[in-house]
Amino acid sequence: MASSSSSGLTFKLHPLVIVNISDHYTRVKSQMNSHPLTSTSTTVNGVEHQQQAPRVYGCVIGIQSGRTVEIFNSFELLYDPSTNSLDRTFLEKKQELYKKVFPHFYILGCPLYVLLNPTINPAQKDLPVTIYESELHIIDGIPQLIFVRSSYTIETVEAERISVDHVAHLKPSDGGSAATQLAAHLTSIHSAIKMLNSRIRVLHHYLVGMQKGDIPCENSLLRQVSSLLRRLPAIESEKFQDDFLMEYNDTLLISYLAMFTNCSSTMNELVDKFNTAYDRHSRRGGRTAFI
Amino acid sequence: MEGLVTQIQGLSGTDSDVLSLQNLLKQADDSLHAESTRLLPFLDQLDPAKHSLGYLYFLEAFTAGPVTNEHASSSVLMIARFISSCVAEQIRLAPDKFISVCKRFKDQVLLLEEPLRGVAPMLTAIRKLQSSSEHLTALHPEFLLLCLLSKCYKTGLSILEEDIFEVDQPRDLFLFCYYGGMISIGHKRFRKALELLHNVVTAPMPTINAIAVEAFKKYILVSLIHNGQFPTNLPKYASSVAQRNLKNLCQPYIELANSYSNGKIADLETYVEANKDKFESDNNLGLVKQAVSSMYKRNIQRLTQTYLTLSLQDIANRVQLNSPKEAEMHVLQMIKDGEIYATINQKDGMVRFLEDPEQYKTCEMIERIDSSIQRLMTVSKKLNVMDELMSCDPLYLAKAGRERQRFDFDDFDNVPQRYNI
Repeated sequence: MASSSSSGLTFKLHPLVIVNISDHYTRVKSQMNSHPLTSTSTTVNGVEHQQQAPRVYGCVIGIQSGRTVEIFNSFELLYDPSTNSLDRTFLEKKQELYKKVFPHFYILGCPLYVLLNPTINPAQKDLPVTIYESELHIIDGIPQLIFVRSSYTIETVEAERISVDHVAHLKPSDGGSAATQLAAHLTSIHSAIKMLNSRIRVLHHYLVGMQKGDIPCENSLLRQVSSLLRRLPAIESEKFQDDFLMEYNDTLLISYLAMFTNCSSTMNELVDKFNTAYDRHSRRGGRTAFI
Repeated sequence: MEGLVTQIQGLSGTDSDVLSLQNLLKQADDSLHAESTRLLPFLDQLDPAKHSLGYLYFLEAFTAGPVTNEHASSSVLMIARFISSCVAEQIRLAPDKFISVCKRFKDQVLLLEEPLRGVAPMLTAIRKLQSSSEHLTALHPEFLLLCLLSKCYKTGLSILEEDIFEVDQPRDLFLFCYYGGMISIGHKRFRKALELLHNVVTAPMPTINAIAVEAFKKYILVSLIHNGQFPTNLPKYASSVAQRNLKNLCQPYIELANSYSNGKIADLETYVEANKDKFESDNNLGLVKQAVSSMYKRNIQRLTQTYLTLSLQDIANRVQLNSPKEAEMHVLQMIKDGEIYATINQKDGMVRFLEDPEQYKTCEMIERIDSSIQRLMTVSKKLNVMDELMSCDPLYLAKAGRERQRFDFDDFDNVPQRYNI
């Protein structure tokens, strides 16, 4: 494939698409895993049906305005492995439905191809999503349509962010008690802070290296870092300080109280046990429940 | 004798050598005691820093005999030098001998009537004997006794700040807390004194002991001074022996507490006058007088709950003080000690009572709470460990088994009545 795109089109990808694709893939994969017998029978005609990594197909829809292509949504397509074709009627029905709801959207088909790599690579920081567009290139003297990788940005609206976030963090089905919900909430905050911390550490390490001279100075990066730093602190006023510290103190006092209660209850049990064991004339309230 | 000396000199190098040396010394102990008078020249041949264990055995045998006044001061010097230069690991192999040497040291120092000389060496001795700062040795109460007798309260206070988790002998704990309470009272640290005396009174005791009785008397008085009231019932972790007997043995003090709670100073003072001899024989008269003067503070504090502003004359009348000047002095002292929050307007002699100004929104408060939480976490861990140990205690399991219900909650199976371990 040729190197990065030179057609000048900018792509904006909505997270809903990514969630849709991954969701579809997961569903198909888990369904496959629960019906191992059926999947083995589909290896026919030399069609390489990878049992481990099925391929799923879908359509992306969005808007193209000038040089900007914005991909809003996607839906999956039924793929029939035996005939190696896509279900046409299904596609048409779906297209009609979507047209009713979103009249402005077109199917971005031919010039566009979105690929999601399902193998999870935890080391990679970026999303394993790549967008390819078709271009006319001259290769070996023959004009050919090939797919060229292009860059994209993630674009989102506030409402979309909330819903995608909600879907992404699957809460326990019964809603959980307040404790599990609190724990889930705190865990997500904790992981977010951890990630922030590690990224700042990387930046810091980089800057220290630059200062020592191990790494060549890169002024554009330095400018970016400096502009970031100038944005902090976000709020600085005495009223904020007061309120913040008061709330901090309140939270600390509550945890202190909780710890106290915990400790007192352990102490109480210990004292009861001690009295039972060692105090010769301890009061016995008749038959007590054994705990 | 000479052979033993050379062996000590030879075998004080490594740890394994020292262990074999210890066995030799144990066997030679009786012969050492037999020759106790002749041991002095041999002691000079040994170096207390390098041959601590051997020196200890020799020293213990040497000091075992009766000591006269002239010998006392030289032996005091010798022991003090030994304590400061000995090696902690070696002496921990023979803790009993070390403790008896130090106790004799204390006796001799008291014989010479110079308790101050013993304070610093005893503190060093404690530090060397302790396996950790949470360990209470038999030397702790001796040290506190020396501090009390030499009026050296500050040094004593430093050792009282440490938290104790391990105790060798119960008697050590009783004496330590009792003396510690007295030192804290001497330094007007009533809260710490209350805590220590509380420990004595609620410590597990199979039979009543005299230390607990004396401590209880002081406990009543200190709790009146510090809290303004005395809890009539001991908490449930106090031994049942204490709960039943202590009150009967300290009758005059209980009545003092009752009369205090009525709030009338005149009655209190007449009661004190009537029973002066009893208080004096217990050496508690000073404390009793402090308790009486603390009554004024209680009454002024009660006023803060009813009034927002009050004139000094009014305060004097209500609290039964003689003059507004006295009232002003009392209020001023209380403001300084942080017991009430108020402002005195000297122009018209009015006192305004204020709320606690603490807003709980400073960084210092955050740090304070944070350190308290950390402390609480360590305590909680220790409590859990103790709880588990207690649950496995066979004595506890035997008794708990007896009280179990006949049938299990769910199964209606027969539940084992005894645990045969």
